[in-house]
Amino acid sequence: MFSYEKKLQYPVKIERPNPRLASVIISQYGGPDGELGASMRYLSQRYSMPFDELKGLLTDIGTEELSHLEMVAAIIHQLTRNLKTKDIVGTSLEPYFVDHTVGVYPTAASGFPWTAASIAVKGDPLTDLTEDLAAEQKARTTYDNILRLSDDPDVNDVIKFLREREIVHFQRFGEAIQLLRERLSQKNVYTMNPAFDR
Amino acid sequence: MHGSNNARNCTLQTGEGRLPACAPLAVPFVPFQQEQPQKYEARKGLVRGTLFPGLDLPFMDMVNTGELPDTPLHELQALGFAIQELALYLDTHREDTDALELYRAYQELHRNGLKEYEKTYGPLSHQSTAGSDRYAWLDDPWPWEYTPCPGKRRCQDPKMTGKCEMKEA
Repeated sequence: MFSYEKKLQYPVKIERPNPRLASVIISQYGGPDGELGASMRYLSQRYSMPFDELKGLLTDIGTEELSHLEMVAAIIHQLTRNLKTKDIVGTSLEPYFVDHTVGVYPTAASGFPWTAASIAVKGDPLTDLTEDLAAEQKARTTYDNILRLSDDPDVNDVIKFLREREIVHFQRFGEAIQLLRERLSQKNVYTMNPAFDR
Repeated sequence: MHGSNNARNCTLQTGEGRLPACAPLAVPFVPFQQEQPQKYEARKGLVRGTLFPGLDLPFMDMVNTGELPDTPLHELQALGFAIQELALYLDTHREDTDALELYRAYQELHRNGLKEYEKTYGPLSHQSTAGSDRYAWLDDPWPWEYTPCPGKRRCQDPKMTGKCEMKEA
């Protein structure tokens, strides 16, 4: 089960609203490499993991991603607080605003709504963990790009934290692959799927 | 070393630039983080986004160098972060007893810190409203709201009113 703690993993306190930044950072809420996809990917993949370290790691990283999802939402919410229509007209937030006002909706910055098509659960541990390595890198690149687009120190402070977590998660998924490999055939790791061919 | 059963014996020498001969082909390879790695203390770890200097790899030297203001909430966040980071580390390094000991020490600090925090600032989970005479769970602030004074229920503390910026270390 999950329960809620009424605090963020890392503080979010954005002094100056900024509709343009909200319109790009929303991608880490509901975009192809965002935190919603990350949590759904890992929390779904864990059921076909055959070994306890892998079950534990996917559970723990998947849960942390839910905390990141909340932090990204907090950024969007604070970047759009107290906005008047005239603050939005002419900015890149217009297309989002017409559909969602300043509610927080899981969509990519490009306007594509969140889709499970941007994650994978293949049911083969080596395949899924390899996907997870790529997923962490894609999220890191997205955060790099947000840092290129933002010069707001309050925003960047949080984005740097989230970006660094991707690097730590990448490391752990890499170690998980080594732990998995030790238990597969040393002659041929692809001889079968340990989640299915037991 | 060829055909070693233990991938962790198969260490990559710094500067070697290539995987050792015993590394298997056609499998992604990320070197294992060594046991008993160097660690930041919890508050610095939270600001940097990792407890481990070895994994602290910023983009274009954009680094959070400051410190978070000294509030009970930040203290709790730092302890919670250290626990999370060590949990992920222990998931793949369950035999590192030093890390386990540190994990337990942070748990203990977090338990005590949480008790103290909730006494003053209200419940962080609705279960912890049980002992109170009213349902304080609903009280503001909710964590996603902009609060100029982090960790303060209201700005009762005159030192915390106004801007609470990152202070330079």
